[in-house]
Amino acid sequence: MIKVIAACVIGAALAGGATVVATNLATESTATAEPVNETLYNYGDR
Amino acid sequence: MGARFRVVAVLPWLVGLVAGALALGPALGPGYVLRYDMLFVPDLSLSTVLAGADGFPRAIPSDAVVALLSLVLPGDAVQTLALLAVFTLGGAGAFRLLAGLVSGDGRMPGAVLAAGAAAGVAYVWNPFVAERLLLGQWAALLGYAGLPWVLRAVVRTASARPGAGLAGLVRSLVPAAVGGFSSVVLSALTAGPQVLAGPRRGRNAGLFALGLVLVSLPWLLPSLTSGAATDPAGAEAFAARADTPFGTVASLLALGGVWNSGAVPPGYGEPVTALARLLLSAVSLTGWAWWLYRSRPVVGVGLSVSAAVGFGIAVLGVSAPGREFLAALIGLWPGFGPLRDGQLYLAPLALVQALGLGAVALWLLRALPGRGGGDSALPVRLEVQEARGERGDRGESGAWSLPLWRVVAVVFTMLLPVVVLPGLLWGAGGRLTPVEYPGAWLAAQEAVAADERPGAVLVLPWSAYRGLEWSGEPVVVLDPATKLFDRRTLWNDDLSIGTPDGGRVVVSGEDTRAREAARLLEPDPVTGLPSAERVSDQDALAELLGGLGVRYVVVSAPVDNRFWSGSEALSPVVEGADMTLLEVREQHISVDKDDISGLEVTSGLVTVGAIIWSMARSGSSLGFQRPQPLKERGARKEIPK
Repeated sequence: MIKVIAACVIGAALAGGATVVATNLATESTATAEPVNETLYNYGDR
Repeated sequence: MGARFRVVAVLPWLVGLVAGALALGPALGPGYVLRYDMLFVPDLSLSTVLAGADGFPRAIPSDAVVALLSLVLPGDAVQTLALLAVFTLGGAGAFRLLAGLVSGDGRMPGAVLAAGAAAGVAYVWNPFVAERLLLGQWAALLGYAGLPWVLRAVVRTASARPGAGLAGLVRSLVPAAVGGFSSVVLSALTAGPQVLAGPRRGRNAGLFALGLVLVSLPWLLPSLTSGAATDPAGAEAFAARADTPFGTVASLLALGGVWNSGAVPPGYGEPVTALARLLLSAVSLTGWAWWLYRSRPVVGVGLSVSAAVGFGIAVLGVSAPGREFLAALIGLWPGFGPLRDGQLYLAPLALVQALGLGAVALWLLRALPGRGGGDSALPVRLEVQEARGERGDRGESGAWSLPLWRVVAVVFTMLLPVVVLPGLLWGAGGRLTPVEYPGAWLAAQEAVAADERPGAVLVLPWSAYRGLEWSGEPVVVLDPATKLFDRRTLWNDDLSIGTPDGGRVVVSGEDTRAREAARLLEPDPVTGLPSAERVSDQDALAELLGGLGVRYVVVSAPVDNRFWSGSEALSPVVEGADMTLLEVREQHISVDKDDISGLEVTSGLVTVGAIIWSMARSGSSLGFQRPQPLKERGARKEIPK
């Protein structure tokens, strides 16, 4: 049982690490542009 | 009740709840999350919701339910509950659907629980959920969350008496009943083919149709009598678009592709994360195909057909001929209008991918029943193999033992949806941040509520959406003034959509009284305020407003043109930084009291009655039933009644 729990922790840690890497990748490359600063706002922009 | 039973009962809900807490993060705090269509206000008035506006009743019954809950809870708490319900219901539903397909309601071994958790996470953590959430379509997502429950109920209906079957269907359709029109359509798409593919199809189709009608009455009857028209321009404006570098079809396959570029989670469109998400979708679909080949789950054919049809509808808007075809359909009959937002119909594909990822987890644990069923099926216990060998083997106890790496791989697989879509974490990177309504807005709400004289509220500038900066970050949202006041509100329900070339497509609204107001006020297309000719004569303007039945005008944005200055016909009641409430002088107002339609109230009561009857008949189907021992194993796994 302990080994199963250890394996679960390792799997979760790997996923957590991968999530951090993916977040950094996404954050560094994303240029956020909310469609604002207009007089009248669109419902959205395609 | 044993400890294991408690774990098995709680785990599906816990998976959804934790996913919801991670996704919503700051949105669960005090305050209102306002974004695009997601508009909650303090003390939403039920009479306002029921009086509504002309045209299709899109806010029924979701806003009516919010208004009722707001009688006993603060509005922001109601919003928190609604958003958490999406994740909790959806995660638990997919979890239990997979578990039911693999082991019935019988004993659930660890492998099935792990696979169920993978399915639950995948169902609530994908681009479809993220984009619809960022678009503010919480009511549609509530219906989405109910889809696994509806599918499960449809399977159970096949072996139930008609009354019990109908009760089960109505119970499972409660989320769709709250979600309204799009939720019911999604439910029909997801479970309809299963009804037709399963046994006793004639009887079950009748029961399913009756269940759908019963939960649809609050919006169905008013819409039939409203004479609402749908603008075919919506086929172009709301067609799916590529939100990854791999084109629109691949974006849809990865469960993205929403029409609005502002609803894409942060970082999702980047090549690395988009490719990772696309690969996960491919792996999940492979898992589903492998499961179908191996053991033919009872919903296999029906759900596959649903996913294919939904994907086909979404793809229809990708090509110009497809969009023209859709526009022609909508022009022919407004009932085809819902097809314009094709990406919405990816919902059954999302369920297929969630179950497929669960099947991958089962494969990793060597726990999926074989084509012939038998001993290769269940039960499977997670026992770590002492040996270092690659393949698992049966230990002396007879339990299936596994190498450690498979357990590691399953946990990693379970969390893969989060890994490849980190943009949804913690309120989608802060995009779902709650704000408090400024004091001036609340003062205006209070002032209007204190006035018992009838008369509508006109919302200016003449545009539905605002760029609020209450949190410090600008957010586009449906003008809160459209729901803030306890009376009929006139606002521009045209939908303006920006196009990539800098142009704009306007999808005409449906409120005939608003159209009349626009015709008379001649709003300036740049400022959205009444034309210079109209404001030059304040008495004439007030008379015109009074003739429309308008008692209050709210200017719910900072404007330079304070056209009411010096006017005696329009007097400020509340003045704030980004909101001014004006009162039209009494002598100008000619108003008929807005009546609540008896048809809407009656149909709502019938639906509520049907839901209460279904609950009373045998308890909620959303609860967990005590697992029973597996009596028989076979290649074809049924979900027993």
